Amino acid sequence: MPDTYMVPEVLAAIGRECSRTTSYPITASDIRKWALAVYWPEKPPQKFIDAEYATEDFDPFAWGPQKYESLLPEDDGSVIYRHGINEDALGIPKWDFIVGLNGGMDCQYGVRMHVGDVITDVKSVGQWSERPGKNGLMLMTRHVSVWTNQRGEEVKRTINTGISY
Amino acid sequence: MTVNIGDVVPTFTRETGFANWNRYAAVNDEFVPIHMDDAAGEAAGNGGAFGMGNLQWAYLHNMLRSWIGETGEILSMEVQFRSPNVKGQTITAHGVVTAVEGDVVTLEVWTDQQDGIKLAPGTATVRMGK
Repeated sequence: MPDTYMVPEVLAAIGRECSRTTSYPITASDIRKWALAVYWPEKPPQKFIDAEYATEDFDPFAWGPQKYESLLPEDDGSVIYRHGINEDALGIPKWDFIVGLNGGMDCQYGVRMHVGDVITDVKSVGQWSERPGKNGLMLMTRHVSVWTNQRGEEVKRTINTGISY
Repeated sequence: MTVNIGDVVPTFTRETGFANWNRYAAVNDEFVPIHMDDAAGEAAGNGGAFGMGNLQWAYLHNMLRSWIGETGEILSMEVQFRSPNVKGQTITAHGVVTAVEGDVVTLEVWTDQQDGIKLAPGTATVRMGK
């Protein structure tokens, strides 16, 4: 375990935009199936069966994007990173973590997602940090994701926190 | 609807296990061994397979959406995933109003399991429907 995870490569990566991903147009079936899963075993509200709009937590990228583009000159974009951050291309060391956890989410919502919307997701490296824990030094990674629709309206802005040790 | 500090939001409850998690995996392409295989979950230190944090996130949204009404909006939510949702737990999403400013309401939100142990605490803001 290193003395610190806040090495120069990490510090240089913070704030960098890493990828731009474009979804396929959202379908009524996408919205309906998502709602059926998150409300199961009860029936979702009728507005989601009718696909008036998607639940806020709906992910139009779940089964793969229409287009993926790396924004890092060091990355040719040939590999799609679902979570959008190619840490190798950023030069971030590969630490030997035993545990990687979903630490949490922080989301600000804008306009709703509707059938036919095409969502663009730009991911960047957020403010990473470290702190001592009972299992040693823990790394908190934060990835920032900004979704806009085809009209340029912001759909949501999310910070995902990962915890590794 | 008049909202006051201390108001309690009607809860959203689900018994959880593979039947929920596999459906969520199917829509979110989240076929991760720790969520599908007891051995993988145990190797990760959780005594067996465990549910997706994102599904608890969804349950919290379901709770708020039902409360704010047809024209209400969820403006933000922040949650920490503190404890795993293991098979057989009954998960309940809760919310309590902590601030009211016009039609914008701030809440403490959390999921817990049947023994009252909190799994995912956080905060949310909503705009109440007309």
